[in-house]
Amino acid sequence: MATKTKAGPTKYEISINGKAATVVEDTYLLKAVMDAGFNVPTLCNHKDLTPEGTCRLCLCEVEINGKKKLVTACNYPIRGEIKVNTNTEKIKKHRKNLAEMYLGRWPNVEAIQNIAKLCGATDKEKYKSDITDENPKACILCGHCVRACSSFVLQNILGFAGRGITRHLTMPFGETDPHCIECTSCGYVCPTGAIQVTDDMNNPADPELIRRHGMRINAMMAMLDDEQNRMRQVGTANLVEVMDSYDLLPVHNYKFGRHKDTPKIDSGVMKSRYFTQGAADGCWVGCSMACAKAVDGFELKTGPYKGQKVVVDGPEYETAAGGSNMGGFDLDFIVEFNFYCDTYGVDTISFATTMAFVMECFEAGIISEEQTGGKKLNFGAMNEALECLHEMALGEGFGVDVGQGIRRLKEKWANELGADPGFLNDIGMEVKGLEFSEYVTKESPAQQAGYALAIKGPQHDEALLIFFDAINNQIPTYEDKAEALYYFPLFRTWFGLLGLCKLIWNDVVPPDNSKYPPNEATKIPERVEDFQKFYEGMLGEPLDEKKMLRQSERVFNLQRLISYYLGYGTRADDMPPLRAIGPATEEEYLSREERYDKQMKEEIGIDPEGKTTGEKLAITRDFRYKRYNELIDAVYKKRGWDNNGVPTVEHLKEIGIDIPEVLTLLDKPNI
Amino acid sequence: MITVNNKEKLDWHEGMTVQDVVDRMGYVLSIITVSVNGQLVPKEDYATYEIPDNAEVNVFHLAHGG
Ligand code: SF4
Ligand code: SF4
Ligand code: FES
Repeated sequence: MATKTKAGPTKYEISINGKAATVVEDTYLLKAVMDAGFNVPTLCNHKDLTPEGTCRLCLCEVEINGKKKLVTACNYPIRGEIKVNTNTEKIKKHRKNLAEMYLGRWPNVEAIQNIAKLCGATDKEKYKSDITDENPKACILCGHCVRACSSFVLQNILGFAGRGITRHLTMPFGETDPHCIECTSCGYVCPTGAIQVTDDMNNPADPELIRRHGMRINAMMAMLDDEQNRMRQVGTANLVEVMDSYDLLPVHNYKFGRHKDTPKIDSGVMKSRYFTQGAADGCWVGCSMACAKAVDGFELKTGPYKGQKVVVDGPEYETAAGGSNMGGFDLDFIVEFNFYCDTYGVDTISFATTMAFVMECFEAGIISEEQTGGKKLNFGAMNEALECLHEMALGEGFGVDVGQGIRRLKEKWANELGADPGFLNDIGMEVKGLEFSEYVTKESPAQQAGYALAIKGPQHDEALLIFFDAINNQIPTYEDKAEALYYFPLFRTWFGLLGLCKLIWNDVVPPDNSKYPPNEATKIPERVEDFQKFYEGMLGEPLDEKKMLRQSERVFNLQRLISYYLGYGTRADDMPPLRAIGPATEEEYLSREERYDKQMKEEIGIDPEGKTTGEKLAITRDFRYKRYNELIDAVYKKRGWDNNGVPTVEHLKEIGIDIPEVLTLLDKPNI
Repeated sequence: MITVNNKEKLDWHEGMTVQDVVDRMGYVLSIITVSVNGQLVPKEDYATYEIPDNAEVNVFHLAHGG
């Protein structure tokens, strides 16, 4: 009987050669047959490629409601309670005949000989003809290469032309297409060796090792991306709805983590109404993830290019979330501000976060139309935000102020307008002078430290721990968090050292990754291994986790020392604003009152009953700063830094960078 | 009462499935793994896998993004 519930997939009870099996709807019959322990010969099927059903060797008999028919098992999706027979006399005869035809055409190809054996075909002469090819490495027209070219690396260099016996590959052997990126995917999947790969590019020590691991990633991307993060379809924009559903999408200067209008700016709308190229777009041709996206023919409504149709690169998650942070739940606005930031050379994140701060200050009455040049800068004032952006680029009006960024604005408004510096510091989302990127960190101590300790300022490049911490509660103790804040910044820095992209590492996940204990699973061990093998394959030197981390640790500590030398590398520089670690205003406290009251009771051990919101806010603030300080104590210790966050000489010695040039950085802080 | 990720307590009811918990908690399905009392639950069973009372449910959403 078919079992179906509202949200789950349908399952069917089927029988295969009399043996019962339960399968999920749309499972390909070939998989069900193999899982049930039966063997069926195949030629055009490949585990890493979408089946096409061209060779017809896998033919099976399927009975539905008493009616029997023959289907190609490899691309037959199961959608009912069927009875399957994989080996009737008719099928056996058909397969044998087919195998004899293949054997007659390509008698010396090993893959064909194996199939012939399986089908009981022995007669090589029966179908011998003019087109018989004696080459043991002949092309058998299986189509693996054509499909790999398009699905692994999104190229369409190869194809078939002609029909029947004149069918052939469009790129003749021995020739190269100038557009071919030489990724060797086609050679990797070719079962006969008809495609030869020559490995002389950049003289890798072990090209085969690199290929093996590269293809593992390509195959996984081709088979899993559509059901995982849809990076090829929508890129990082998929995070908009994910973050909103976890209450972690910044809304109104990080006050809130979710908004009823998020569906107006999510990846579904971007895909259906904005992204136009209908194809994955990579940073470089041949990237198998190709997560960059573009909006074509976008008509600008403001600024110097008003009325013109332009191509816009993006929007990425951070840019869209910058929109929600400013209260701009409108993709026309987001795409427009994305375009002008790119055109003016302004970072979308810094602009959006600064603007969100400006808007909150406007609503709080710290600034007024007098300062803004008559602009009403409430949250959601999209046209006015764009005006600020244009003014910033022209060096005119209030835009000049906005362009200073949050740190300088706080100082300016405290000095010139007598604004309360405490409030400005609480809500001004910057650390080390850089604006926060777009995640709400309030419920994730590890992400708070991941941001605020980051050497170049609060962005998640070093440690994106919000999932492990806020959602999974996977690193509950200080030690766990400190370990994560040791491992991930070093691991992620390693990509920078080698000039590699991190998205390939954690945006496609092996289906069996869950076999690792959670703290290991977060590292995605199989993918880490791939990267270690790339290193080894290129340089001929094996790399393990310890060595990998040590490579980064040397650079990471040097960066921290330079930061220290420049006046940005001590504990005081690692302090996040209140809003990053908890509610900063009564409005914010009240918006999640139940949660904060519960935490006060359970985590702080104080009964919120009878306390005013102001009192509760103060208690929460003290507790959270205390907790933050304890956490960074643990992190500093783990990193070999002193209590002030400065690398110790012993630690520099241990990691082998205690050379005089480096040590002088310790002597001359705060120039 | 069941516990999710060692933290969140949810009221238990007869016939409560993994899918119910996923919906309640707002988990996004793309790349989560779920285990109930240490037993991994395959995605296709979320809607039918019934959670016993007092169960420890773990839902892990793998990190993604830049
Ligand atoms: S090397 Fe790559 S791009 Fe070139 S034909 Fe083969 S699969 Fe396509
Ligand atoms: S070149 Fe290889 S992979 Fe391509 S169709 Fe021929 S046998 Fe198949
Ligand atoms: S394996 Fe070729 S048609 Fe199924």
